[in-house]
Amino acid sequence: MQLFNSRALLVAALLGSAAIAPAALAQDFDPNATIRIGSLYEPQNLDNTAGAGQGINEAFNGNVYEALFQLTDAGTVEPKLVESYEASEDGLTYTFKLKPGVTFHSGDPLTAADVKYSIERVTAEASKSSRKRSLSTITGIETPDDQTVVIKLSARSISLPYNLSYVWIVNDKATDITATEDGTGPYTLSEWRRGSALALARNDKYWGTAPTNGEVIYTYFTDATALNNALLTNAVDVVTSVQSPDSLAQFTGNPAYTVTEGASTTKEILAYNDRVAPFDNVKVRKALARATDKAKLLNSIWGDYGTLIGSIVPPTDPWYVDLTGVDPYDVESAKALLAEAGYADGFEFTLDTPDYDPHPIVAQFLQAEYAKVGVKVNINIITANEWYTKIYQEKNFQATLQEHVNHRDIVFYGNPDFYWGYNNPEVVKLIADAEAAPTEADQVAKLTEANKIIAEDAASNWLYLYPQIVVSAANVTGYPVNGLNSQFFAYGIKKAQ
Amino acid sequence: MTSLDQTVSLRRDHSLSLWVGAFLVGLHVVIALLTLVWTPYDPTAMSGGRLEPPSLAHWAGTDRLGRDFFTQIMIGSRIALIVGVGAVAIGAAIGVTLGIVAAFATKLLDDALAATLDILIAFPTLLLAMLVVAASDTASLGTAILALGIALSAIVARLTRILAKRVLLMDYITAARTSGTSWFAIVFVHVLPNIWPTLSVNFALQFGLAVIAEASLSYLGLGAPPPNASWGRLLQEAQGTVYTAPIGAIAPGIALVSLVIGVNLLADGLRDIADPTRRVSR
Repeated sequence: MQLFNSRALLVAALLGSAAIAPAALAQDFDPNATIRIGSLYEPQNLDNTAGAGQGINEAFNGNVYEALFQLTDAGTVEPKLVESYEASEDGLTYTFKLKPGVTFHSGDPLTAADVKYSIERVTAEASKSSRKRSLSTITGIETPDDQTVVIKLSARSISLPYNLSYVWIVNDKATDITATEDGTGPYTLSEWRRGSALALARNDKYWGTAPTNGEVIYTYFTDATALNNALLTNAVDVVTSVQSPDSLAQFTGNPAYTVTEGASTTKEILAYNDRVAPFDNVKVRKALARATDKAKLLNSIWGDYGTLIGSIVPPTDPWYVDLTGVDPYDVESAKALLAEAGYADGFEFTLDTPDYDPHPIVAQFLQAEYAKVGVKVNINIITANEWYTKIYQEKNFQATLQEHVNHRDIVFYGNPDFYWGYNNPEVVKLIADAEAAPTEADQVAKLTEANKIIAEDAASNWLYLYPQIVVSAANVTGYPVNGLNSQFFAYGIKKAQ
Repeated sequence: MTSLDQTVSLRRDHSLSLWVGAFLVGLHVVIALLTLVWTPYDPTAMSGGRLEPPSLAHWAGTDRLGRDFFTQIMIGSRIALIVGVGAVAIGAAIGVTLGIVAAFATKLLDDALAATLDILIAFPTLLLAMLVVAASDTASLGTAILALGIALSAIVARLTRILAKRVLLMDYITAARTSGTSWFAIVFVHVLPNIWPTLSVNFALQFGLAVIAEASLSYLGLGAPPPNASWGRLLQEAQGTVYTAPIGAIAPGIALVSLVIGVNLLADGLRDIADPTRRVSR
């Protein structure tokens, strides 16, 4: 049930390899270098269908395990273990040809049976993968020969290649992959010290391009300050994601460090329970959206970093349109909308606030802002586990704060059973139709339409998009800068001699 | 035996700690009372920019939301005092009652109570308080006070039991009993006035403990919920900005330390006055 880890809740399951930051000049780097990566996200176990948290995707996606497709750091979906594939006319049958000559770390060759086993692992009853639902249209997997996989669908699924990028291809003979691994990636797991570090060694028998380093060690920290200090004292080479602009002062303007700001998919959201009064009233939701000075909030939390958004869709999704103008900050019109909705004297609600940064400070900001329109916010601090049971499972809340890290998560608004209970039949239909669209252009058109409607409906209050800030020692280059879905491909990282 | 000179200098030292302690505690009391009628800014008003350094307008700068930090420190005094007084009052009410009951009880009940108290004391105060907070539905200032009060009561109860037992062995108690004085009268006329001086010094020490424990609870997110400006929560919020705006961590730290040291010095001074052995040496 650890769909979440203690810091970042909605965790993506995933996969991939990819586009990479500017690389150092050839020959300048040490091909056997050890790259030490500092992270706050220690995996709970080593299996991304067993509730390991986002940390396992950071360490293993594209590094240890690969998938049929890969979501690159640039946000595109590219074939990985697939040589070629084709879809039938009705879009219900996909035939995949596997890359020849791929072997697992144990030495077994990659076969169609492994792919079938791996997909069924994710869709299995016991799987805790957050991607299970998106693969639910799969009705059968056939393996006519060792290099061919045929997937049968009950309905068209334009995102199938994208969704398959989340499915690790695991050797079907592997046992207990919660503590060991058997993937096809450029690294093998050499050591896992629970509570502190995870070491990956270069796979010299790798089927593709060899990594530009010899070894990668992920070191885990529970405290952001300790993590930054580790970089300052040269105990790590790269910090995967800096969580506060204030610690950056130590690195910006210092030639010994490189700070990059990439695109993240992490959104801070004030999620209303759209099932219950007063949040079942679209005017109330729009009023609160207009009563929120998002620019000031973003500046308070992130200083000059981060991006304002008008819906859940970040600029890296193909169906992004700028919707920040739908409900701009305007206290007077917020008051007018509240009066129209029958709340001229305001109302009172409880905001269930996770106990870790930035939620408590965001809650206080909203409390002060909404007081100006007569709305009283009662802040109730809860733990991440309480959030999961009370809000995600029992849906017993009025409003809550949460950061949603998933890429392409507009689809949650097409699920009326999701915790925030947004139910607009038009959006549900658009999102379902988009998935059944014959072409990507058609899919993008439908999701763009759905995107505009959820913004018009102020389905939730999308406060801001986090920046993705990576800090490294200046002699280290070639790491991914966007960190989509928490991935952190290590195979292109170079360390200067 | 101390010489006359040493006794005099001892007395001077102790009266100094009494006065310094009284001054520090008094300062916090005055600030706390002042916040009831006036603060420089509304504590939740975002009156300045992000993390402004100290200035004439904002004596201790502003926090990330642009709220005046000095105002929040002042309100923190009020919260600390409310917590201290509240927790000690609850701890004293429960602890003294239990302690007296144990002192008067039959051996079996007394042993049972003593064993329970020993177990409770073996738990760190903070851990016990965390258990109580976790068991309640929502965190609030009231829950935190109750939790700390319960945690402190075990210490008070054990002390009360021992002190009361010692008094109950006195000849005048036996005399009072044989003359038919009621149980109730013995407690209020003989026992409590005799143990009160020692207890009150202990209460002052418990007060300091309670203030630190509340700051710890709030630091962990288990104390008064935001926007209550508890010092512990201010420290927690300042943690991420300690390099860019160190005042955010220093100011609540100074406030917390000055109150706790003040209370301890005051307790030292009071013990000097209350402790009968010191009175004899005079």
